[in-house]
Amino acid sequence: MRILLIEDDPATADYLAKGLAEEGHVVDRALTGKDGLFLALNEPFDIIVTDRMLPGPDGIAITRALRASGIATPVLMLTALAEVDRRVEGLEAGADDYLAKPFAFAELRARIRALARRPAPAAAEATELAVGDLRADLLRRAVTRGTRPIELLPTEFRLLEYMMRHPGEVLTRTMLLEKVWDFSFDPTTNIIDVHVSRLRRKLEAGGEPSMIRTVRGAGYVLAPALGAGHG
Amino acid sequence: MHWPRSFAPRLALAMAAVVLVASVCGAGWGWLRAQSALRQQLDLVLAAEAEGLIRDYENYGLAGLAEATRLYTRRQGPIFLSLAAPDGRIIAGGVPVAPVTLRGFATLPRADDGSEIRALGALLPGGVNLLVATELAPVNRAAAALAWTPPIAGGAAALLALALGFWLARRLERRLAAVSQAARGVMAGDLTQRLPQSGRGDEFDRLAATVNTMLARIETLVAELRQVTDDIAHDLRSPLSRLRQRLEAAVGAARDPDADTAVLEAAIDDLDGILATFAALLRIARAEAGAGRDAFSDLDLSALVEGVAEAYAPVVEDAGRSLATEIAPGVRITGSAALLRQALANLLDNALAHGAGGISITLAPDGSLSVADEGSGIPEAERDNVQKRFYRLDRSRGTPGTGLGLALVAAIARLHGGELALGQGPGGHGLAVRLRLVPAPQRDQPRGP
Repeated sequence: MRILLIEDDPATADYLAKGLAEEGHVVDRALTGKDGLFLALNEPFDIIVTDRMLPGPDGIAITRALRASGIATPVLMLTALAEVDRRVEGLEAGADDYLAKPFAFAELRARIRALARRPAPAAAEATELAVGDLRADLLRRAVTRGTRPIELLPTEFRLLEYMMRHPGEVLTRTMLLEKVWDFSFDPTTNIIDVHVSRLRRKLEAGGEPSMIRTVRGAGYVLAPALGAGHG
Repeated sequence: MHWPRSFAPRLALAMAAVVLVASVCGAGWGWLRAQSALRQQLDLVLAAEAEGLIRDYENYGLAGLAEATRLYTRRQGPIFLSLAAPDGRIIAGGVPVAPVTLRGFATLPRADDGSEIRALGALLPGGVNLLVATELAPVNRAAAALAWTPPIAGGAAALLALALGFWLARRLERRLAAVSQAARGVMAGDLTQRLPQSGRGDEFDRLAATVNTMLARIETLVAELRQVTDDIAHDLRSPLSRLRQRLEAAVGAARDPDADTAVLEAAIDDLDGILATFAALLRIARAEAGAGRDAFSDLDLSALVEGVAEAYAPVVEDAGRSLATEIAPGVRITGSAALLRQALANLLDNALAHGAGGISITLAPDGSLSVADEGSGIPEAERDNVQKRFYRLDRSRGTPGTGLGLALVAAIARLHGGELALGQGPGGHGLAVRLRLVPAPQRDQPRGP
């Protein structure tokens, strides 16, 4: 993927560019908002990662300018701790995701992948999701694995729906907290692990192979079970 | 001269000048008016006198008139009379002007000193000329006297205005000097300085009171800021020193990939803890400074509490405890959803980590939200302390946490115009934390189906 990275701190920019290049992405860098906006308007990118505070136009202004020009490239906004509460403002300006500094690189990687594989708008209106032999009917809120129906609580259904919309992607705890529970902070209690392990138990209650994989130090992946009969 | 730099004497001076100029102009105008009015009066008097004499002539003939004229002249009144034959010879009386034959009014120079004489002439049958005249000087003097009254009063008023201006300026300067001195004290860093008040309750006192309220608020804010700085210095230094020791020890040890990885991972864990503390401190500071109110929106508190309770329910169950909820429906509030969620999550985190037994969440229709547990509670003497930053009860020092949870909840409550109260749980044991929030006024017609 071709990624535009707009970041005024050279050390952070080096670190991020190196990490993304190792992932196999092509990274274009801009050190000021002006250069970043120029590149973003004139060249095609798959993803734009921009700092919020920049010399020249800031991340919010860049995003607004892009959206005003009809460019729908996904924007991931990075922000210093002090502005975490300003998340809504960034999202309202047209950013697709918002990540507070400092963050683990795995968190950035996971979010970039999620943005890159963002389902097309039409898919968002789909009434049924399927991953391997797992099916979820969004209208009836019914879930089946193969032919076995699975009873889920409303929270568990929301969690599963989010995971099924991003199959094969690493979903971090922070992402799940934000997207499923709307928590913009990390509670001391690890509520995600408990919810995921409950969901996992229900998905495997019929003795089927595991579909939710834990990625150490990063998060969880929902993917078709390896060696499943329907593969 | 320093006084023209002060406002009141400048005003007094300007007003005195205006009064003076106006009264001088008024004097000129008044003199003209008075003189013309007095001359008219004089002309009327002359005409009346002439009337009387002509009546004498009609009744008693020329000889009678001449007799009356001679008698009048002998009395030496303020009016001169003369009776002249057609050839200019004076028959009786005398007016001290050059010989003249006059019909109607005229102002003539006096023969001896040239001062003005007002005269009325009448031609009698046979060409005899009757002159009735008087001096104009008394009229002019009266006009001048009348005209000088306003400038004298004006001058006195101007002098009074000047004196009053100086007095006011001195008073004002004294009060302003006191204010200025207090302000300089504040600028120099003494935030306890307050502006002096006279106690009269006038506009100066009201202004001083407003400024004093502002100074008190600044003092509080700065004190809070200092407190935060001290807290950060104190509570971030220890984990940072720990991290430094860990890294220093690792550098000194022999290279071993497995051990190095372990040390680096532990270092990242340490740093995450420090960053969490830092984030919590910033949030508290922002909430206490009132930041974030601009992002307030009308929200459904009942649904919000329900959502957080759902997120925590499995965790509480896994810990072998129970979670009971009693949530009044449709409670609306104007606030920050993100911060309120965090406040409730912090209370539940605390109940899980430090409490025991069943946990209950109650949202009353009046917007008071409480979380109670059945643990050992918090001694009454400690209840205020646990709301302070970094304060931890001795028995909980071993458990993870930043020591900022309740401080943040308290700050969030205050940001929403409410407060945090700690009390005993139901049945007289355990801890109940109550967050009093102010619900938004009920809408007359709820929207939606």
